[in-house]
Amino acid sequence: MAVEAFSSEWAQLFKDEVNKSPVYRQAAKGWKWRVGLVVEAEPDRNFPESRGIVMDLFEGDARDIAVGTADEARACDFVITAPYSRWKQVAMKELDATRGMLQGKLKLKGDLPTIVRYTKASQELTECTTRVPVAWPDE
Amino acid sequence: MHDQGAGRLARRVSPVEYADGDDASAFSQMLGGLIEANVESRREKRADFERLRARVGVFVTDIDEGVTLDFQDGHLVVHNGLQPGRDLTIRADAGTVMQLSSVNIGFAGMPNYLDSTGREVVAKMLRGKLKIEGLLGNLTTLNQVTRLFSVQGSADQEPAPDRSSP
Repeated sequence: MAVEAFSSEWAQLFKDEVNKSPVYRQAAKGWKWRVGLVVEAEPDRNFPESRGIVMDLFEGDARDIAVGTADEARACDFVITAPYSRWKQVAMKELDATRGMLQGKLKLKGDLPTIVRYTKASQELTECTTRVPVAWPDE
Repeated sequence: MHDQGAGRLARRVSPVEYADGDDASAFSQMLGGLIEANVESRREKRADFERLRARVGVFVTDIDEGVTLDFQDGHLVVHNGLQPGRDLTIRADAGTVMQLSSVNIGFAGMPNYLDSTGREVVAKMLRGKLKIEGLLGNLTTLNQVTRLFSVQGSADQEPAPDRSSP
């Protein structure tokens, strides 16, 4: 059953998908930083308030993925920021996250060499989001 | 009169400059930022950077965007788009450009094209998914640039404080 986009239920299903992925487990060996995703508000798309997703990722495990405020997400070691509709494009495989970052559609904050070293892991995280059935607020 | 303290107090000058200033594209900033971080964290990359004089273009085919990296013996000017006078031009899709940054550096500082990442890069070249123009006569430059791009081997320079397992 579909869950509300970027809700606590969505975060739980996303976490389950990450922990089910052998590809992620392998690619993220050595990763030990928190990642924050900032989903910026788009009131005209029925997403009135920005949200933050705080991902506690450690050595290939998703220890916790929680929905909170944008500021909580911004406090993480690595932060990726984009408006709601961009994240929706990523989750629907309409926008490749790597391309999005190179085009500035997804804004990245954090140590670049580290992110680049874990490109495969971040691509698999994106894949995991596409496996979560989502009810989009603007549909 | 020269103020001897001024040198100590002077602001750190970045080795990377953006020709387009605030209008530098996200791709320019990403490549420039990556090279700057590599150069500042690894002595051997700094040595490559100090002696590299070349204009290198990188064009990402699936976003239709390019940059020109103008290496000037210890200073890099990053231009949006492909500028004239390039010694080398690398053309590949976004994933492959990121993969180039993951090429391991092996014996004597040579990029390792024999391990799995290196073999994938070579396979993409053979399939025409990665094109390098100007390779003839610029192999040393390509190796230097590959070392500057590569993020491998810098695990001792991790950015954030270590987090211990619970």
